[in-house]
Amino acid sequence: MTALEGGKRAGALVGLEIHQQLASAHKLFCACPIAKSEELPFSFERRLRPSQSETGGMDPAAVFEFAKGMSNTYLWNPESSCLVEADEEPPHGLDDEALDIALQVAVMLHSNVVDEVHVMRKIVIDGSNTTGFQRTAVLGLGGHLEVEGKRVGVQSVTLEEDAARLVGEDRSSRRFALDRQGVPLVEVALDPVKGDPEYVASVALSLGRALRSTGRVARGLGTIRQDLNVSVMGGRVVEVKGVQKLPLLPKVVAYEVSRQLGLIAVASRLSERGFAAVECTVVDSQGVLASTGSRAIRGALEKGGKAVCIAAGGLGGLMGWEPHPGVRLGREVAEVARANGLGGIVHSDEFPKQGVSQSEEAELRRLCKASADAALVLVAGPADSVDRAVPQLIARLKAAPSGVPAETRGATESGESRYMRPRPGAQRMYPETDIPEVKVERERLAAVGRLVPERWEDAVERYRRTYRLSLDLAAKVLDSDYAETFERLARKLKLEPSLVASTLVDLPQRLAREGVPESGIGELTLERVLVAVDKGEIAKEAAPDVLRSMGRGESRSPGEAAGKLGLRSMDSASLARLIDAVMLKGAALVDQKGEGAFSPLMGEVMAEARGRADGAEVSRLLKGRLADFMAERKGSGRSVR
Amino acid sequence: MEDLAGYKGRALRVLSRAGASIGDVLESRTEWGTVEGTLVPRYEGGDDRHVVLKLKSGYNVGLSLATLKSVAVKAKGEKPAFLPPRQPRPRSGLQRVLVIGTGGTIASRVDYRTGAVGPAISAADLNSLIPELSDVARIEPEILLNILSENMEPSHWSSLSRRVGRGVREGYSGVVVTHGTDTLGYTAAALSFALRGVPIPVVLVGAQRSSDRPSSDATQNLIAGVSVAASAPFSGVYVAMHLCESDDSIAIHRGTRVRKNHTSRRDAFVSVDVPLAAVWRKGRLESVADGLPKRGEGVGFTPKARFDGRAALLKFHPSMDGSLIRAAQKGGVRALVIEGTGLGHVSAKVTSAVCAFVKAGGVAFMTSQCGRGMVDLNVYDTGRQLAKAGVTPLKDMLAETALVKAMWALGNTKNTREAAALMAQNIAGEMTPRRFPR
Ligand SMILES: [Zn+2]
Repeated sequence: MTALEGGKRAGALVGLEIHQQLASAHKLFCACPIAKSEELPFSFERRLRPSQSETGGMDPAAVFEFAKGMSNTYLWNPESSCLVEADEEPPHGLDDEALDIALQVAVMLHSNVVDEVHVMRKIVIDGSNTTGFQRTAVLGLGGHLEVEGKRVGVQSVTLEEDAARLVGEDRSSRRFALDRQGVPLVEVALDPVKGDPEYVASVALSLGRALRSTGRVARGLGTIRQDLNVSVMGGRVVEVKGVQKLPLLPKVVAYEVSRQLGLIAVASRLSERGFAAVECTVVDSQGVLASTGSRAIRGALEKGGKAVCIAAGGLGGLMGWEPHPGVRLGREVAEVARANGLGGIVHSDEFPKQGVSQSEEAELRRLCKASADAALVLVAGPADSVDRAVPQLIARLKAAPSGVPAETRGATESGESRYMRPRPGAQRMYPETDIPEVKVERERLAAVGRLVPERWEDAVERYRRTYRLSLDLAAKVLDSDYAETFERLARKLKLEPSLVASTLVDLPQRLAREGVPESGIGELTLERVLVAVDKGEIAKEAAPDVLRSMGRGESRSPGEAAGKLGLRSMDSASLARLIDAVMLKGAALVDQKGEGAFSPLMGEVMAEARGRADGAEVSRLLKGRLADFMAERKGSGRSVR
Repeated sequence: MEDLAGYKGRALRVLSRAGASIGDVLESRTEWGTVEGTLVPRYEGGDDRHVVLKLKSGYNVGLSLATLKSVAVKAKGEKPAFLPPRQPRPRSGLQRVLVIGTGGTIASRVDYRTGAVGPAISAADLNSLIPELSDVARIEPEILLNILSENMEPSHWSSLSRRVGRGVREGYSGVVVTHGTDTLGYTAAALSFALRGVPIPVVLVGAQRSSDRPSSDATQNLIAGVSVAASAPFSGVYVAMHLCESDDSIAIHRGTRVRKNHTSRRDAFVSVDVPLAAVWRKGRLESVADGLPKRGEGVGFTPKARFDGRAALLKFHPSMDGSLIRAAQKGGVRALVIEGTGLGHVSAKVTSAVCAFVKAGGVAFMTSQCGRGMVDLNVYDTGRQLAKAGVTPLKDMLAETALVKAMWALGNTKNTREAAALMAQNIAGEMTPRRFPR
C-alpha cells in the first residue's frame, strides 16, 4: 500500500495554513523598511521565560523551550531594524498599508471581516521573537477559495508579524537576524481537505496564485511558507511547520500520513500483545556501560556525561519495527532526544548492531527489573541535557499505545519532518495591550474591495492573447517571481515575448540544474542579458553561455562574457562572408539536393557562428543566398570554381 | 455591573438583556454568520458599540452592534482567576534578604479590564515565578505598597525608609525594593538620604518590560539585586538595572547619581558623571568602585525618615516670568530648586522673583538643566546677582536629587537656614569633588 492510497483509505485530513509576506513599504509595527541585511554588525543577548496566562497556567510548548536553557543572540543592522524589533521600544500602531493588503486578501477570499481588530500576543519562546511572542490579529472569519472548480473553505485570515531569521544554533544558544522580524505576513488557514498529497499541493498552489494576483505580496524564496495540520483516522492532529518550497508539499503530506499510519500500526501491535499502557523504569547506567562497545555512549561518558537506561514494558521488538518505509518508533523517540540537544538514543532492538553486548543488556534488564518483552532505551550525553530529556522520552514512550501524539514538527529539506516540541495549548494567547483595537470602517473595506485583482486563470488567458505565449509558458511566468518583470520587458523590448518569458523562467532553471548558483542569476542579470540581445550585442543563441558565465561570477556584464567566450555578434559583412564560404564548400550538396540543402547548410553556418549570429537572421540571409546560387547554376550550367 | 467589566451604554444593555457575564460562551449571530466565543472584558477606553469575543483559537475579535443580530449565552463560564504557582522551599545556609514590593512594572501584569499594564503581581509571586532567586538568597517578600511609581509621595519614602530601618534591626543581610522605573531615581535619592549610614546594601530594582512578558528584564534585574543585597561587600543605597540591551550584565548605580535617561530601553538608567558602583555579570560582581561605604559600617544606625514635601523643582525657560514662583510661594512652597540654563542662570524677571521668594523666608537652590557638569554662580553677572540674593549653588548635584534632598533637609531641620546649610553638605555621594574628561 503506498502512502497515498493509505492516506485516502485512512481518512487523512490536511489543514493548510499559508503564511505570505506582504510587499508593504514598512514593517507591521515600526517604520523600518523591509530589507534583507547581508551584514549584521550589532548584537545583543537575551533569555526568554514562560509567563503565566490570564488563568495562571503555563503553555506546555513554552515550558519545553525554556527547559532547554537556551540563550538567544540577536544580530541586527540599522538599515533593517530598530528599537522596536529589539523589544526596546513599544510597537507603533498597525501599519496601514499592510492592513489594507491583508483586508484585500480577506475580501478576495470572501471572508467576513471583523468590525474591530484586536492584536494578540501568541507566546513563542523558541527565541524567534525578541518579545517572546508573535503579534497577530484575526481580520476575517470564514470564506472560500476556488480550487479546480470546487470551493475549499477558509477558516480565518490573519495579519501577523514574521519572526526573526535563524542563522545559527548550537547546544546552548541560537543566533537570529532581526531583519525579518516584524515583516507583515498574511496567514490564511483553510478547512481541512482530504489528505491526497497531490490535491493538497494543488490547493496550496491555487491559494499562492490568488495571493500573488493582488500584486502586493512579496516574492522569492522564503516569502511564502506552508504549515500543515495533518491527521488520520484514529490519530491526533500533528502540526508540521515551515514547508518553504511547493514541490516539497506532496512529499511532506505523504510522509506525515505514512508516519501516522505506521505509529497506529505500532499501537495496534502493542494492543494485540495485551498492553494498554507502557510502564517505564529508569536507572543510571554509566556503571554498566563504562566500557561498552557503543561508540556513541562511550564517547558521551568519556566527555564526563551521564548515561541512563529507560525500560519500556511491551515495546521490545517494536522500536525497530518498520511498518512503513522509514517509520519506526525508535526514530520518533530519538527525535525527542535530539530536540533536547542529544545525539539520539540506542534501543535494544539494535543493541548488537550498536555494540551493546548481551551481558550489558542482561545487567541493564536486571537493574531495571525489566521483563523480556520490554524495550531498553539508552540515552547518554551531558548530565543536564539527559536529565531534561528523560521525562520527555518517558512521556513519548508512554504515548505509544495511543498511536499518534499531538505535537509540532518541522518539515525537512528532504520532505520529511522531525519532532520540534509539544503542541501549544490554549494558554498562549494574550491581548497585546500596547496596541489599541482598530475599527474597520465600512468605507475602508469598500475601497479595498474595489481593488479586485485579476484572477490567475484570466491572467493566463491574457498572456496567451497579448503575448502569444503557450499555456505552459504563461502559467510558468505567472507562478514565477518575474510576472511583472516579464510584462515590463515584453513591452519595452523588440524581442519575441516568448523569448523573454523562456529566458526569465526556463533558462535559470536549466542553469541551476547544471550547478550554476541560483543567487548568481537574479532579476537584474536576466534583464541585462535580454537588453543585450535586444540591442544585438549578443545573439539570442549566446544567452545561455553568457548567463552561465555571469552566474558563476566569471564576468560582470553580458559584453564582458561575450568577449571572453568569443560570442560577440558578427557584423553583417563577416556573416555574409561566412555564408559564402559555407555555400562554396556545400556546392555539391546544393547541386544534388537543391532547396533540400538548406537545413544542413543552416546547421553548418550556425555551428561555425558558435552563437555569434542570430538564427532568424542567418536563415533569412542563407535563403536569399541559396536562391541566388541556384538561379546562377541554372543560368550558367557551370560549376563554381 | 461587575460581571460585565468595561462594557457600558448600548453594548452593556445588549449583554445584560442576554444575561451574559464575562467568561460565558456566547453565540452571536451577525449579518454574515454565527460567531461563537467567550465574552472577554472590554477595555475601558473602548466605545459602547462593540462586543469582544475570544474565539476557540484564542484570538479576540470585536463585533459591532450594527452587524449583530442576536446574542445568546451558550454556556456559563468561570471567571478567570490568577493562580500563583507554588513557592520554592527556602534553602538553609543562605543569606536572608528582605524584598519589599511597592508596585510598578517589575511587579505588574496586564489588567484585562483596562487593557493597561498595572501593578498586580505581589513580590511573593515574583519569588515563585523566578525560582532561581532561591539559589541566591533566602527571600522574604513583603508588600509594603501597591502603587504606580508616578503616585509615589514623600510619605511613602518615609514608610519605606522606616521599614528598611526595621529590616536592619531584624538582621537581614540586605534589602531589595521593587519599584516602578518612572520615579525610581527619586526614591533612590530619598532612601540614600534617609538611610545615611545604613550598614547593609539596599537595592532598588525596576523593569522596563513588565514581568508578565517572556522577555521581561525584571528577572535578571531582580536576581542581580538580590545577589548584591545578599553578599556585596559594600553598603548604601543602589539601583540595579540592565547595563545594555543584553540580559547578562546589570549595572549597579549609586542612589544619588542615577537618572532615567530613556523612555523605554532596558538600559534607561545611567550614572551621571560618576563611575558605576559595580557591574553584576553572569552571577558575579565586577569593577567595584573605590570609596563605597563598606558593609557593616555604621553600627547604631537610625534612619532619618522625615520628609517635608513643600519643595518644588522649576525648569527655567525663555518667556518665563515670576508668576509661577509667586504662586509657589503662595501655595506654601518653602524650598525652590531651580534648573537654570548653563552654569545656573535665569532671566532678570525670574531673578527678581527669586529674590522676593528668599526675602519672604524661602530657600532657593541652583542646579543646571545641562544635565551634566557643575553650576557656578561666579562666572557671569546674573549668577553673582542670584548668589547675592541668597541662592545656593548645588555644584553637580542632579536636579531631581536636589529636590528630594531639599524635602529631606526641610523635614530634618528646624528652619530653612539650617536646611540650606545641610543642602551644601555632601551626605550620600550626591556631589562629587572631581570630574574627568571623557
Ligand atoms: Zn523597526
